[in-house]
Amino acid sequence: MNSFSDPGFWSRIQFAFTLIYHYLFPQLTMGLVWFLVYWKWCALRTRDEKYNRAARFWAKIFGLNFAVGVVTGIPMEFQFGTNWAGFSKYAGGVIGQTLAMEAMFAFFLESAFIGALIWGEKRLGPRLHFLAALGVALGSWISGYFIIVTNAFMQLPTGYRIEADGSLGIDSLSAYLLNPWGWVQFSHNQMAALVTGSFVVAAAGAFYTLRGLHLEQAKIYLRSGTVMGLISSMLVAFPTGDQQAKMVGNHQPVTLAAMEGRFVGGPMAGVAMIGQPNVAAGRLDNPIEIPGALSFLAYGHFGSYVLGLEDFPQEAWPDNIELLYYSFHLMITLGTIFIILMAYAAMQYLRGRLESSRGLLWVLMLAFPFPYIANTLGWMTAELGRQPWLVYGLYRTSEGYSKVVSVGDMVFTLIGFVGLYFVLGLLFLVLIGREISHGPADVLPAELEREASA
Amino acid sequence: MIAAWYAIAGFMLVVYVALDGRNFGAGMLHWRVARTPEERRQVIAAIGPLWSWHEVWLVGFGGTVLAVFPKLLASAFAGYYLALFLILWCLILRGISLECGGHINDRMWQGFWDFVFVLANTLLAILFGAAAGNMARGVPLAADGTFSMAFFTDFAPSGYVGLLDWYTVSVALFAAVALAAHGATYLTLKTEGNVHDRSAAYASVLWAAAAALLLIISVESGVVRPDLLGHAMQNPFWWLGLVLVLAAAITLVSGLATRREMRAFIGSNLLIAGLPATGAAAIYPVVLHSTLAPENSLSVYDVAAGPNSLAYAAIWWPIGFALAAAYFVVISRQYAGKVSVKRDNQGFY
Repeated sequence: MNSFSDPGFWSRIQFAFTLIYHYLFPQLTMGLVWFLVYWKWCALRTRDEKYNRAARFWAKIFGLNFAVGVVTGIPMEFQFGTNWAGFSKYAGGVIGQTLAMEAMFAFFLESAFIGALIWGEKRLGPRLHFLAALGVALGSWISGYFIIVTNAFMQLPTGYRIEADGSLGIDSLSAYLLNPWGWVQFSHNQMAALVTGSFVVAAAGAFYTLRGLHLEQAKIYLRSGTVMGLISSMLVAFPTGDQQAKMVGNHQPVTLAAMEGRFVGGPMAGVAMIGQPNVAAGRLDNPIEIPGALSFLAYGHFGSYVLGLEDFPQEAWPDNIELLYYSFHLMITLGTIFIILMAYAAMQYLRGRLESSRGLLWVLMLAFPFPYIANTLGWMTAELGRQPWLVYGLYRTSEGYSKVVSVGDMVFTLIGFVGLYFVLGLLFLVLIGREISHGPADVLPAELEREASA
Repeated sequence: MIAAWYAIAGFMLVVYVALDGRNFGAGMLHWRVARTPEERRQVIAAIGPLWSWHEVWLVGFGGTVLAVFPKLLASAFAGYYLALFLILWCLILRGISLECGGHINDRMWQGFWDFVFVLANTLLAILFGAAAGNMARGVPLAADGTFSMAFFTDFAPSGYVGLLDWYTVSVALFAAVALAAHGATYLTLKTEGNVHDRSAAYASVLWAAAAALLLIISVESGVVRPDLLGHAMQNPFWWLGLVLVLAAAITLVSGLATRREMRAFIGSNLLIAGLPATGAAAIYPVVLHSTLAPENSLSVYDVAAGPNSLAYAAIWWPIGFALAAAYFVVISRQYAGKVSVKRDNQGFY
């Protein structure tokens, strides 16, 4: 496995790379869009122009992220056919439903109103413009739901039947769409997207405050970002993250064992704070554990028996236990730091010292990349943990890739994506940097126009 | 049920071709119809904030094919591996060029993105045209329902064919000219000033060229697939398609002749959608014709998902389509009217 000549390996790398890159953009738009809705709503209620200015500035950031999200998203769907022909043939009748529904119910809505949101303020008036923001927000979350239901089917297949030719078909559409794994994963993921949005908004607020620029706007960003950041960081951990871990414990016990680097089963299972899985020796090196914590978190009692990897045949183990373990643990660590940071920021806000705590502002400004990392680690945990299955318990990843495509072609397209996405990333940073350095307008564009014509 | 899904998937594809085809066409003609930087921004604004809405039809088509004809998607996409990535990269570049140009008001910056825009759109028109030619000609499908092919082999449309041969190249050429004409017709309707006048002049010339090329590729199709005409004549929908194409052509020509821009554009849309639709009716029920052995060909019945999956999809698809149609009405009203050379009169760029 995993060798240079294995086309399955290259198809996985290509999908992982294009997907991780793609998801950097939707995670911000799904989080940020509710700030836009909130500010448009404030503007509608208070008639205070500063909220419109905030929405106008962030709509530009949103638009750039949205555009890159669109262009990097289209290759994802096509790769099901190009690189995962076996999987498409096997499960297309099921997963194709939600991919098509995403286009029909989410993308049409989103893309119809995105132009109105970004450029339509003058023509639409405040009410319709608020509705456009709401339409884009709903569209982006509906789209997220369909994608997560698709992934949930791969994690915990529900509502399917096996057709005469051995492929999968829909048995009950409601059972497929209302997959319990899907609801839990969706809540967890959307809260995590809100964390990214909050940290980015707060970081911009901190940046402008530290520079002494756009102070009225910076205050809005800092405060909204801190409040939403604290709420969403807590919700990511509890109840959504907690429920997600229980879901894994109940339906993928071998994955839970691998996530915790737990080789030997037993009661009073601990959560490792520090430790490195040593797969060859079958143990966790230099562990520092909280005894009983895993038993409690996964099954509700400290004495609960948690299975270890050795309770399962080795071909059922996830194929990269170390990476899975590190992804999961780093995600948890970052999530904990997010709560502490945002709780401290919220406390300073309540004491009226948010804008004057320079140290805190520096940390808030520099913290924004970490939710992106945590989101990525979360998805790596979900996807590495699902291995060696493509559809859990039904279909192995090694069966799913396209047999007619050569390794060379796959490496070629992967390099193509790396190159193209590198350039795209540079371009994105340049344009975002310009928007940030221009900053939000302190006066109305209409006033500017009047000045220019005068 | 399976035939109905063939019609629905085909419908989504031809709607995409008509909607995004005008953007490809406008993109190909960008340098010809727009000479000054302001005129160039005018063309971009005419394509406007709706390009991603148009691309959703392609995404919806892909998802629907995966849901109802999973084996078709698996076989065709894997077989066309490199060509598909070329299309994807061009779609990425096209979207980026539209979005990036307006962000910095600088001649060199916008000139560069205009170049990317023209290049990506031209390649897309040619690649989609070649893909249509491939659908008609067939692919070297083996007995196990898979194939993989080179970009070109000996340029002969039989046996171990490549993506490009003399037949698919002529279809690609026709597609490029017809979509350019479609784009010119759209720009005539959507713009005013110099861009409008140049587009109107281009539309007439390009449609005449497209008509001549259509005649040529019709004859060529008879040579490449001698079995197809007799087969198509038994399909009432093929006749319906011919009637549609004829009606579209009359609408278009009368619209061009009397300078009724909306009429010409409607005719142009119907024609651009009607031609591939007629082709789809002609090849039905075979979706992947084998150039190696007819018994290897895959029919729509070989590639369909289970009956239950098709039945469930038939529940939500009409709802989704009704919503899409409603959005279409909203955005058509929102972006109605002409784009002038003065910046920002559509609120875009």
